[in-house]
Amino acid sequence: MSIYRSLYISLYLLVMCILVCALCPQAASASAATATFRPVSPEELQMTSEPGAPGASAIILYHEVKRDDTGSTAHEDEYYRIKILTEEGRKYGDIEIHFDKALETVTNIHARTIKPDGSIVDFDGKVFTKSVVKAKGVKYLAKTFTLPAVTSGCVIEYYYTTDLSDHWIIDSRWIISDELFTKAGDFSLKPYQNNSYNNYHVRWIWQNMPEGTIPAKEGPDGIIRLHVSNVPAFTTEDMMPPENELKGRVDFIYSSDIPEDNPTRFWTGVGKKLTGQVEGFVGKPKSLESVVAGIVSPKDPPEVKLQKIYARVQQLRNTSYEVRKTDEEEKRDKEKDPTSAEEVWKRGYGNGRDLTWLYLALVRAAGFEAKGIMAAERADYFFNPDLMQDDRLRANLVVIKLNGKNIYCDPGAAFTPYGLLPWQETGIQGILLDKKDPTWVPTLVPTADMSRTERHAALTLSETGDLEGNLTVNFSGMEAARLRVEQRNSDDTERKKVLEDTVKQFTPAASEVKLTNQPEWKNSALPLVAEFSFKVPGWASQAGRHVLLPAGLFGAPEKHMFDHAERVHPIYVEYPYTEADDIEIQLPAGWKISSLPPGWNDTGKVVTYTLAAKDENGKLHLNRTVTVNFIFMDTKYYGALRRYFQQIKTTDDQQVVVDPSAASAAN
Amino acid sequence: MRANLFSPRVLTAVGALFFICTPLFAARTDAPDWMHAVVSVPLPAHDEKDNAILLYGEDNLSVVSREKFRTTVRRAYKILRPEGREYGVVAIPFDSLNSKVTSIHAWCIPATGKDFEVTDKDAVETSFLKGEGGMLITDERIKGLPIPAAEPGNIVGYEYVIEQRPLVMQDVWEFQDTIPVREAHYSLTLPAGWEYKDAWVNYPGGKARDAGGGVWQWSVGDVKAIRKEEDMPPWRGIAGQMVATLYPPGGSSADALQTWNELGGWYNALTTHRRDPSVEIRQEVNSLTASAPTTLAKMQSVAAFVQRDIRYVAIELGIGGWQPHPAADVFAHRYGDCKDKATLLQSMLKEIGVDSYYVIINADRGSVTPETPAYVGAFDHAIVAIKLPEDLKDRSLIATIKHPQLGTLLFFDPTNEKIPFGEIGGYLQANYGMLVTPGGGELVKLPQQPSDLSGIQRNGKLTLTISGDLQGNVEEVRVGDRAAGSRELYTTTEKSSDRIKPVENLLADSLSMFHITYATVSNPEDPAMPFIWNYSFQAANYAKYAGNLLLVRPRVLGSKAWGILETPEPRRYPIEFDGPVLDTDNFEIALPPNYVVDDLPPAVDADFGFASYHSKTEISGNVLHYHRAFEVKELSVPVSKADQLKKFYRIIASDERNTAVLKLVTP
Repeated sequence: MSIYRSLYISLYLLVMCILVCALCPQAASASAATATFRPVSPEELQMTSEPGAPGASAIILYHEVKRDDTGSTAHEDEYYRIKILTEEGRKYGDIEIHFDKALETVTNIHARTIKPDGSIVDFDGKVFTKSVVKAKGVKYLAKTFTLPAVTSGCVIEYYYTTDLSDHWIIDSRWIISDELFTKAGDFSLKPYQNNSYNNYHVRWIWQNMPEGTIPAKEGPDGIIRLHVSNVPAFTTEDMMPPENELKGRVDFIYSSDIPEDNPTRFWTGVGKKLTGQVEGFVGKPKSLESVVAGIVSPKDPPEVKLQKIYARVQQLRNTSYEVRKTDEEEKRDKEKDPTSAEEVWKRGYGNGRDLTWLYLALVRAAGFEAKGIMAAERADYFFNPDLMQDDRLRANLVVIKLNGKNIYCDPGAAFTPYGLLPWQETGIQGILLDKKDPTWVPTLVPTADMSRTERHAALTLSETGDLEGNLTVNFSGMEAARLRVEQRNSDDTERKKVLEDTVKQFTPAASEVKLTNQPEWKNSALPLVAEFSFKVPGWASQAGRHVLLPAGLFGAPEKHMFDHAERVHPIYVEYPYTEADDIEIQLPAGWKISSLPPGWNDTGKVVTYTLAAKDENGKLHLNRTVTVNFIFMDTKYYGALRRYFQQIKTTDDQQVVVDPSAASAAN
Repeated sequence: MRANLFSPRVLTAVGALFFICTPLFAARTDAPDWMHAVVSVPLPAHDEKDNAILLYGEDNLSVVSREKFRTTVRRAYKILRPEGREYGVVAIPFDSLNSKVTSIHAWCIPATGKDFEVTDKDAVETSFLKGEGGMLITDERIKGLPIPAAEPGNIVGYEYVIEQRPLVMQDVWEFQDTIPVREAHYSLTLPAGWEYKDAWVNYPGGKARDAGGGVWQWSVGDVKAIRKEEDMPPWRGIAGQMVATLYPPGGSSADALQTWNELGGWYNALTTHRRDPSVEIRQEVNSLTASAPTTLAKMQSVAAFVQRDIRYVAIELGIGGWQPHPAADVFAHRYGDCKDKATLLQSMLKEIGVDSYYVIINADRGSVTPETPAYVGAFDHAIVAIKLPEDLKDRSLIATIKHPQLGTLLFFDPTNEKIPFGEIGGYLQANYGMLVTPGGGELVKLPQQPSDLSGIQRNGKLTLTISGDLQGNVEEVRVGDRAAGSRELYTTTEKSSDRIKPVENLLADSLSMFHITYATVSNPEDPAMPFIWNYSFQAANYAKYAGNLLLVRPRVLGSKAWGILETPEPRRYPIEFDGPVLDTDNFEIALPPNYVVDDLPPAVDADFGFASYHSKTEISGNVLHYHRAFEVKELSVPVSKADQLKKFYRIIASDERNTAVLKLVTP
């Protein structure tokens, strides 16, 4: 039952994502397309591998997309020719073409298999129409079929037409990067032709074209074309930038405005428009001055005032972080969006965006110089102003000038401490809202000391090698915010489990962990402090008359970082961070430390590591820090980064040698 | 026979249904009385980890005719924790060809405020995407309906009616859940002349109450939650269920199945003529076996053909979920699912004079036990039992049993491309399947293979330098499931440069700093041969200096320790292993000159019956020898031995951390 429930939820989310597309209502005219299979060459039949994709189970020999938006029925013809190189590659003989029934239909499906000897097996089986998601006003379908006689060495190909719904012009995109290597691809778009009633313009943007590719351009016949060749298969890796940012793609955008080709003028226009909207919402209500007076004291230093107002705004109910309501609940609530910051205050709640603008209004009412910023988060894309995509400006924040410094705040991002921004809004550019001169400004660039995981352990080693005692973990900055956001709608039992599991992942051996306090989950001004009883059975190992203890008790997070020698994509972390360990281990009576590891002290780089072990009168004292102080690192530095982390692991693996024989002798 | 809609027995059934369904058709928005009736009932025993409680469950099956069953389902849950919100989604699995959800209503009774109601107009219907559930095309659907305000403290519930054309005259009542069940009821409304037999699975159920008018009722109360644990037995093997087998008037029929023999007879009838060979199949068999000198060689040839040349594609519509496609179609298309492959293999074997039979089985060992009553829904996979000719004896034919009537039967799974002919994977070993013969069916236990048929023999010859660096060569010979797993990884890796990643992962688990200098694979695709990795590496700073001592961990690579039982809660269910295994490690480490052993780790000999672990470290000249053997002998460890298993893994963890201590001697 639960499996079905999960499937339902995942499909529900899928369809909601897919249905987000830009639509412009419009009349159109169309013509039907005809396509045929292209001749296959002996080279294609005989090939057994592709130098550009060593080890690939299959490659795309040819991919064609021909989009025609001119006719009364716009349509898109798509053609695939795939070479199957191994038995594993036979899975590409299963085809599923998804479409949204409200907007398009898939017709004219033809497919065939060409055996290595050149003989052809036409697909004459049934094409099934699968109802992927059907709901009120939504019918998302898939044409599904499987090709016959697919073996290693054969070529499979298929083409089909997607007829787009009348009366719509639909933005389109060409995704150049596929999960398979593409030998050659041709893409074309015949844009919508204006008539006396309509005046639509298309512009297109592209990224990550394969080397040597001539960007898509419009020919004398008005058709926009692109040819690509030898496009590498897209692969995924741990800690890589957003997938959308790495894939080759061309996006076409229709608009009724005359396209602005100068980014500066474009953003000036956008900035002024946004400024008007935000200032209209924020306003200058007198009533907020008395609100501020109730929050701050006139004697408070300026920054304390800012912090108090920030804390007060974060105390308000933030609907962006609540469990999503069903339509039925929303209907009953009959809530309308607030029209002003003043209204947000009166209601006592708002969504994240409303609360941030309320903060802007309150700090202005407190006499501070503050402005709004609109920015594009870096979670899914890296924003490029030259591409002029104003719909990406979805994040709002506030910048306050204080003593010549800029203070960035987004209290609408729940659990984000004052002075920090949620990681998605850091290290990016935002447009500073100004009626006269909106400009691009950089947001906060976080540093490793802003987000810390500090572990303090007071442990005792038993004669049987068990390590046991108390552990306190302080999560601060984004580490605390991350946990608080993730667990905001959980109960104490779940939070306890999450914290205990987190601690178990710190240790490279099985451990027994039990949370012993009630951490503060709500107040972003405080670190999240979790206390545990902690035990690692058999942590010390016996080597004859010696007992050995590894120095890196909490080294597990680094243990499997960058295991692989080869790297394709840059390395990307959400935010810089610090891990700091302070561990005291009381040895059994009479036991002596006979050897301590030499330690390590390496600071001042983008990644730093220190380890110090001390013998404090029979007590072992270990101090360890790791800082990761970058967000983005080019692939060319991967080797050096990997070596550094291997050095961390090596140093963590060093042993403290303890001699229990002293006790035995005394006995 | 189709039922007369006006016959008294149908009217009785319709009357009963009307009574049952009355709340469905009443116009109102309040939750029905049966939900309100449980608002204040005392809750059964539960703890803080229970997400919700099923307060009330009702499954009412009304047999309208042999062609039409109508089931009304009611549920009322009290949500206890935020994690219990998942019970606020109604998820109804159904088969779109043979069944129809005719109505859904769902309600929420909030702790405060008015009730909510949603109906099927708010429902979402979804189906599996390509690859999900292992199927390309299926008529399985899920109808989902989110319930408003599914929050802790609130009560959510639903009622739906599903009509279906039954494939067999059986119904399964699954009343146990991952949450406690306060009360659950099942009722059976039979037309006159119908009879039933009930059988309980994993639960000591009681007898039915005759409610009169052809209605029988069963009830359970205070049913404990099954809380999920890692590597626990499959759900079907532990959850309480009741199987109701129905008998239409006139005595037993082909689709009324009470015994394994009857069930086997039904399946045999379903597959009649499906194995008939086509001319092309005969030609292929002749071609495949022309040069095979023996019956065994012929069997191996056709088995390999079906195993590897028939692509796995599952198209399951209606009875197609159970009935295979004709062998001729499977052969012509070169694709099919597990039962299709089993069908074609039997057809081809018949052509070489070898009889074989379907074995219908559940790929999760433990789902079916000797205590399981015969019901078709217990299974999800099909394999083949091959009747070996009496004179055929060969050491490669391992997966055999002696059948009293049929002689020696060899089990073979043609869907698994990675297991050699003669053996079966761990998931099938000691598993129970239904052997289908022309005479009917019987439950048979598949053999458990010797543990040395699945494992890794790892042999390393290494040299330790005076600076503590370790280098050398390792050969890993993998057989059985261990080989199958490696082959799967190897063949599904799309980039040749990524194929080294499993070795990198292995080394990274045990070595902090390493560099692979050479690696090759032998027999990556032939399941009849061992899968062999041969690699050389350098590990800088492997041995650590501690004063004048040099510390070396003799267990260079690989980890057998497992923290599965390091949990605060005692184990509730047995621990299931994937299959029998024997892994051995032999490392020879040549020591640097002038270093002698100061201390060696003690030998370990742990044998707990279900598994054993032996390790020994010795010095011979200047070579340190480490040998260990890890063996899984029994496939399930009962809860009563969970502490022994925990101890077993702690012993292993301790041994894996053990260190040899070397010291420098003056020559």
